[in-house]
Amino acid sequence: MISLRNVALAYPNGTRALDNVSLEIGKGEFVFLVGHSGTGKTSLLRILYREIAASGGEITVDGIRVDRLRRSRVPALRRHLGVVFQDFKLLSDKTVWENVAFAMQVTGAHTRDITRQVPRALDLVGLGHKARMYPGELSGGEQQRAAIARALVNNPKLLLCDEPTGNLDPTTTTEIMELLLRINLKGTTIVVATHNQAVVDRMRRRVVRMEDGRVVTDEERGYYYLGLGQDQILSG
Amino acid sequence: MDWGKTKFFLGEVFRNFTRNAAMQATAIGTVAVTIVLLGAFLFVRSMLAGIGTQVVSQFEVAVYVAPDATQKQIDAIQTSMRADPRVQSVTFVSKKDGLAALRAQLKGVVDASIVTSNPLPDKIRIKVKDPTTVPAVAASARRLAGVQNVVFAQTLVKQMLQIGSVLRAVGIGVIVVFVLVAGIIISNTIRLTVFARRREIAIMQLVGATNTYIRMPFICEGLLDGLLGSALALAILAIAKGALWPRLVSGLSAVSLDWKAANVDGTALALELLLVGALVGAIASWISVGRYLRT
Repeated sequence: MISLRNVALAYPNGTRALDNVSLEIGKGEFVFLVGHSGTGKTSLLRILYREIAASGGEITVDGIRVDRLRRSRVPALRRHLGVVFQDFKLLSDKTVWENVAFAMQVTGAHTRDITRQVPRALDLVGLGHKARMYPGELSGGEQQRAAIARALVNNPKLLLCDEPTGNLDPTTTTEIMELLLRINLKGTTIVVATHNQAVVDRMRRRVVRMEDGRVVTDEERGYYYLGLGQDQILSG
Repeated sequence: MDWGKTKFFLGEVFRNFTRNAAMQATAIGTVAVTIVLLGAFLFVRSMLAGIGTQVVSQFEVAVYVAPDATQKQIDAIQTSMRADPRVQSVTFVSKKDGLAALRAQLKGVVDASIVTSNPLPDKIRIKVKDPTTVPAVAASARRLAGVQNVVFAQTLVKQMLQIGSVLRAVGIGVIVVFVLVAGIIISNTIRLTVFARRREIAIMQLVGATNTYIRMPFICEGLLDGLLGSALALAILAIAKGALWPRLVSGLSAVSLDWKAANVDGTALALELLLVGALVGAIASWISVGRYLRT
């Protein structure tokens, strides 16, 4: 689903955000991207959906060579994946239904398909009953559910999440992570960049750890800290 | 046609337009002022051009026949001038008719009875189709046998033609400036509405909307600004013309002109101004959205 080979990213001011990153993520995987702030997690996600162009290396996402993508083809790439953010990025003057439908409308989808797929996405995230409410009337967790529904409404095979639970309390965080897991079980590949140690340690999924723009470790069933379970940290 | 899509699109345009009502009003107002100035200028210009053509078309070439010319020569002059494709009409004025006309003209000014002999030569009046050919026609008439002298208002023709070309040149410059000003104003307004919607644009790009799709509502907004602005300007111009035109005509009634012909075709001008307004609006917003999409 995702293949990175020797990817580098340097900002114009000389900062090296990514340094020789190589990574393979298969179809249907659930991967955590961990590391301190400023180690390149967000940069890595951004080059995947071509918010920024890498300065070197090969990037393939769902069969699309992102590093060779012409600007006019970027919208096509974006329709292959969904992105979820810490701050939800919902439009406050549109209802939940409209926010989700918006993602289909702007791609020129038929009204028939919109009326069929929006309720399906909202039901999947458990927001069917709040479709007519505005984001301001929802809790943080509900807003993130709406954002996830928007990311999924076009049926992407890949979901990228940048600190999806950064603004949420522990209970809500657990609910959102369970939702992501459910989505993953339906076959969607999921990459989550996170700081949340508890979540990573509880879920025991593949953990890719980054430091200074490089991938330092990549474990199949990893913990937030290298080789340590949460209980070991607490006791030691 | 997918009615739902259309409805969504129109809704977006309408929401955009009403959300920044004050800003739209400013843009429409400024476009209106610009178009009023442009329209007034174009109106005066084509009116002057109309008057100019009329004045120039009254110019004629007077061919004075030599006193010793034979009737055969006089006929030959007329035949040759009639055959000239530049010539519209040829009229022979005998010395007798010429004197009668002069008497009539001087009646009440000078006591014409003092004129006992007839000093006037026979004259051939030539009207041309295109005023610019007056000098050339005069020159060719001068070469014919039996012609004593050829007279036309040389300097006047030249000046009128010159004024015409200067007006045209200045006019193009003025129009370009006006259109540019209107364009810049609309472009700035659209840039503000684009800025107000930058979050929405970012989300649109995130979920895979094409740049063309993102642009469309803004283009429509600019188009609407331009159209409404020029419509307002047209209303102002129509009212102003209704109030001023009769006064102008009555104030200048002494000038012998066909004022009806000097009047400007308002419908054509109105359509032109509407088209200019709409185009300027659309192009200006195309440019200002483009700056935002290049991130």
